[in-house]
Amino acid sequence: MELLSTQAQFTSLLDNDALARLEKMRLVPRRRLTNRSRGEHHAAKGGTSTEFADYRDYVAGDDVRYVDWNIFARLERPYVKLYRHEEEMHVVSIVDASSSMQFDGKFERAKQLAAAFGLMGLMNVERVSSFVCNHSGREPLFLPPCTGRVNRRRLFDFLEKIQGGGDFPIDLAVEAVLHRHRGRGIVVLLSDFLTFGDLERPLNMLFSAGLEVFAVQILAPSELDPEVAGDIRLVDCESGHTVDVSSAGDLLGIYQEHRLALEEELGILCRQRSGRFLSISSRDPLEWVLFDLLRRKGWAR
Amino acid sequence: MTWWPFVANQWAWLFLLLVPLIIFYFLKLKRPRLEIPSLALWRSVLNDQRVNSPFQRFKRNILLLLQILLLMFVVLAAMQPFFPSGAERAQYLPILIDTSASMAAVDAEGKSRLDEVKAEVRKLIDNMLSDQRLCLIAVSSTARQMTDFSDNQRYLRDTLDRLEVSQVSSRLEDALRLTQALARTVPIETAVLYTDGNVPPEVDFELPFQLNYQQVPPAGKNIGITALNARRSDTRWDVFVRVEGTKPAPGADDAPTSATVTLLQNGKELANEMISLAGGQSQRIVFPVETAGAGMLEVRLEPQGFDALASDNVAYLDLPVGRPLAVFCPPELETFRRALQGNKEVVLYPSDEGESKAASYDLVITDRKADANLEAATFLFVGFIPDDLTKLVHMEEKIAQVIDWQRSAPLLQHVLLTDVQIADRPVSAEGIRDRDYEEAGYEILAQGRTGPLVLRKETAGRTALYLLFHTDRSTLPYRVGFPILVSNAVQIAMQHAGLSEVRGQQTGVLPPRSLKPNQVYQVEAPDKSISEARTSTDGTLAGVAAPTIGRYVIREGNTDVASIGVSLLTVTETSLATVPQLQFREMSIGASATMLKSDHPLWGVFAAIGFALLLIEWWYFQRRPGGLVVRR
Repeated sequence: MELLSTQAQFTSLLDNDALARLEKMRLVPRRRLTNRSRGEHHAAKGGTSTEFADYRDYVAGDDVRYVDWNIFARLERPYVKLYRHEEEMHVVSIVDASSSMQFDGKFERAKQLAAAFGLMGLMNVERVSSFVCNHSGREPLFLPPCTGRVNRRRLFDFLEKIQGGGDFPIDLAVEAVLHRHRGRGIVVLLSDFLTFGDLERPLNMLFSAGLEVFAVQILAPSELDPEVAGDIRLVDCESGHTVDVSSAGDLLGIYQEHRLALEEELGILCRQRSGRFLSISSRDPLEWVLFDLLRRKGWAR
Repeated sequence: MTWWPFVANQWAWLFLLLVPLIIFYFLKLKRPRLEIPSLALWRSVLNDQRVNSPFQRFKRNILLLLQILLLMFVVLAAMQPFFPSGAERAQYLPILIDTSASMAAVDAEGKSRLDEVKAEVRKLIDNMLSDQRLCLIAVSSTARQMTDFSDNQRYLRDTLDRLEVSQVSSRLEDALRLTQALARTVPIETAVLYTDGNVPPEVDFELPFQLNYQQVPPAGKNIGITALNARRSDTRWDVFVRVEGTKPAPGADDAPTSATVTLLQNGKELANEMISLAGGQSQRIVFPVETAGAGMLEVRLEPQGFDALASDNVAYLDLPVGRPLAVFCPPELETFRRALQGNKEVVLYPSDEGESKAASYDLVITDRKADANLEAATFLFVGFIPDDLTKLVHMEEKIAQVIDWQRSAPLLQHVLLTDVQIADRPVSAEGIRDRDYEEAGYEILAQGRTGPLVLRKETAGRTALYLLFHTDRSTLPYRVGFPILVSNAVQIAMQHAGLSEVRGQQTGVLPPRSLKPNQVYQVEAPDKSISEARTSTDGTLAGVAAPTIGRYVIREGNTDVASIGVSLLTVTETSLATVPQLQFREMSIGASATMLKSDHPLWGVFAAIGFALLLIEWWYFQRRPGGLVVRR
C-alpha cells in the first residue's frame, strides 16, 4: 500500500491500480483440490475450523467435546457438530516462454497474467509457484512455492527477469513441470498452444496430479487475422522449418476454420477434465481481461 | 474449307517456350519469407483435403496458369489465326471490278454501285491474311490490271480508292483473258467478279479457274438516251433520238418518268420535247434539222425525279457537210450508168460533159481489174474473179442460176434474184467449201449451184462487192431488181461516206480519222486532259481511247482539226438490267446469293486476350489478400 500511495510502480508487469484491484480478487476453482496443510480453503471432508458445517449422530468413540449439548438437552439424543476443514490450495502457473510467444506481446501478456494469478493466490494465502519453459531438454525455470503477501516481490521479480526464446513445446513443458511439481490445486497454463504435439496427454497428467487446469491461449493479432497473400514461404520461428503457400489469401478462410477448431478442441479437452479454457488476443486490454473477462467467465470473484 | 485456321504455322515452335516457362517458374519462384510463431495451423490448413482438391491445386498455381495462357495466346496470335468464312481460301486472288458506265448508277441514298463494290472489296483487303495476295483488275470494255498481286493493304486500298467509272459498256472477255494470263505466273484457283450484274449474259471464254460472281444490289430507276442518229432527207437531216427507261423490279414503283429532251446545235437550242416513259418502255423522237453544212448536235435529257445514271443523259452527233456522191462507172457499163443517172445525189464519172475523172470517188462500179487502184471507199466489181480467188473458183460459160442469197445484205435488200439467167457459171474448185472463201476474207452474198455468184470483202476503210458474173451476160438488167441493186450500192457508198446517215459515236475508241500521214496530233479529252497520237503512214488516226462522254478535240499545234462527240448510247448500260447467270462456253455461273465473306483474322483478338491476361496476372499478383476473415 505504501507503493501505491507514493504512485511508484511496484512492478513493471502490473500497475498499482491493477495490483490493488487484484489483491481483492479470489480464484474460484471448480473442484476443491487442496493440500493437507492448513489453509484458507475448506476441505471437502469435515475439519476443525470455526465454520459450522453439519450435524451427525454420535457414535461410540467420538470426541465428546464436539457433542452439541444444547441439542442433547432439547432432544435428549447426542449429536456431534461438524466443522469445515480449511486446507491450503496450490496455485502453479506454467508460462510458455518459447520463441512462438515472442510475437506481438504474447509473452508479456503471459507474464502479466501469471503475475495476476500468482498475486491472487498469494493474497489468498495459497502456495504459489511458477514454471517458465524456454528450451526443450532443459529444466524449466522454477519459482519455488511461496505463500503470503510478503512474497509478492519475489513472484514479480521472478517473472520480470525471465527471458523468452526457445523451442519448448507446451505439451512437453507440462510433463517437465510435473516431474518437479508436488501439490494439488490450480494450474494456470499460459501459452499459444500452437504445437504439433498431443495436448490430451499433458492435460490428463495435470488432471491426474490433482490440478485444475486454467488454460489461457494467447494469440497475436497476426495469428488471429493474418495478412498474407500470393505465394509466400512461411518460416517457423522455433524450428526454422518452412512451408510454401501459394495463393495464401485464398486459404485464409480455411485457416480461420482451423484456428477456431483448435480453440474448440482445447476448450473441450479442458472442460472434459473439469478445467477451463480461454482464448485472448495479446492486444486485448489487460484490465478488460482481468476485471471483466475473468469475472464473467467465473474464474475469479 | 480448311480445318486448320492458322496462317503462320512456322511460329508454332514458340510453344516450346512453355517448357522453360514452367521450369523457370518453379526454379526461380521468389517467395517472400514470412516468419510466423508456428506452422502448426498452416500445416493443418495445407493438409486439409479441400486445399489439395484439383480446384485448389489450380488456384495454388494460378499465376503459372495465367503465364501459360498468356504465352499461348501470344504464340497463337503470332500464328495468325483466322475465322474461316466457309469459302475456299485462295492465296492468290484476282478481284475483277466492273467499272463500266452502269456502275455509276446510284441508289436512293445516292451511293453508286462502284462505291458498293469498293466497300465489299475493302472488307476483303482489311481481312486479308498475311499469306494472301490480291490483285485488282478494272473491267470495262477492256481490262486494266490496277495492281500486281500484293499483300500491301495500304497500296491496295489507295488503288481501290482511285478506281473510277469508265463511261463505256462492259465486256468480260478481256478481263478473264488477263486473269488467265496471270494464272501462268501464280497459282490462281478462284477469281472474284464484283459487278452490278449489268454485263453481257454470254461470255465467249472457257474458264480455267473458278469464278465467284458477286452482284451488288441494283440501283434505282433510270432513263437515258440509247440511240442517236440522223438521216439525210434532201436538204435537211432527220435526227432520231431514242430514250429508254429501266424495267422496274417486281413490286417496285412503276410510275412513269417525265423528262425533257432538248436538241442543241453548236450550243444553241433548236428544239425540245417533253416525254413520259413508263418503266421498260422506249420512245423515239424525231427532230428535223435544216442545215447544209456541218453541225455539232447535242441532245440533253433532263429527267424530272430520280435518275440513277447521269452519263446517259447527254449524247452528241456530228453532222457532215452535205455533198453529192462521186461515182465512177466506165461507159462500157451502160446499164449501170443508166440506173445511176436518175439519182440526183450522184455525180457520175466520166460525165457525159467530158469531165473524165476526180481526185477520189465514193463509189467505183467497174468491170476492169485495173480500176481497183482508184481511190474510193466502196467498189462494185462486175464480171471477173478477184486475183486472190482464182485458185478457189473459175468461170465456165454455162448457164447459172441463183440458188440462194442473203436477202438482208445491204446490197441485195429488196432484190429478187429468182429465175435470173446468167451466162457465166462460177465453179468452185474441187474440195473448196464456203469456209475457204470466208478464210480468204470473203462473204458469200449469193450462191449458185456450183459456186458463189456475189461476194463481199471488207478491208480497212474499204468495202468491195463482187458480181462474179457479168451483168451484160445475164437477164438481171432487165429485172426490176437491177436499179434497186444499183441504188443499194449507192446507199452503201453514201453510208460509208457519211452522207446519208450518221450515228452518234459511242465511248470506247474514237472513230478512225484520215489526216496527214505520220503527223503527231494532240487530242484534248472532255476533262481537258491532253494526249498525243500519231497518224499512220496512210494518214489514219486510229486507236485513240475515249472512255468518257463529251467532245474530243483533235489539234495540230494550235489549230483545231476535228471535234468528235462521243456518247454512251448503249441499251444495256441504260437499262441497268442485271444478269443472274453468266453463260460461258461449257458452263454457267450464277450470281452468288450472299456477298463474299472473307476469312476473318483473329490475331488481334488473341493479342487483346493476351494483354488482358497480362493485366489479370498483374492484378492477381498485386491484389490485397482475400478470403474469409473471422473477426472477434
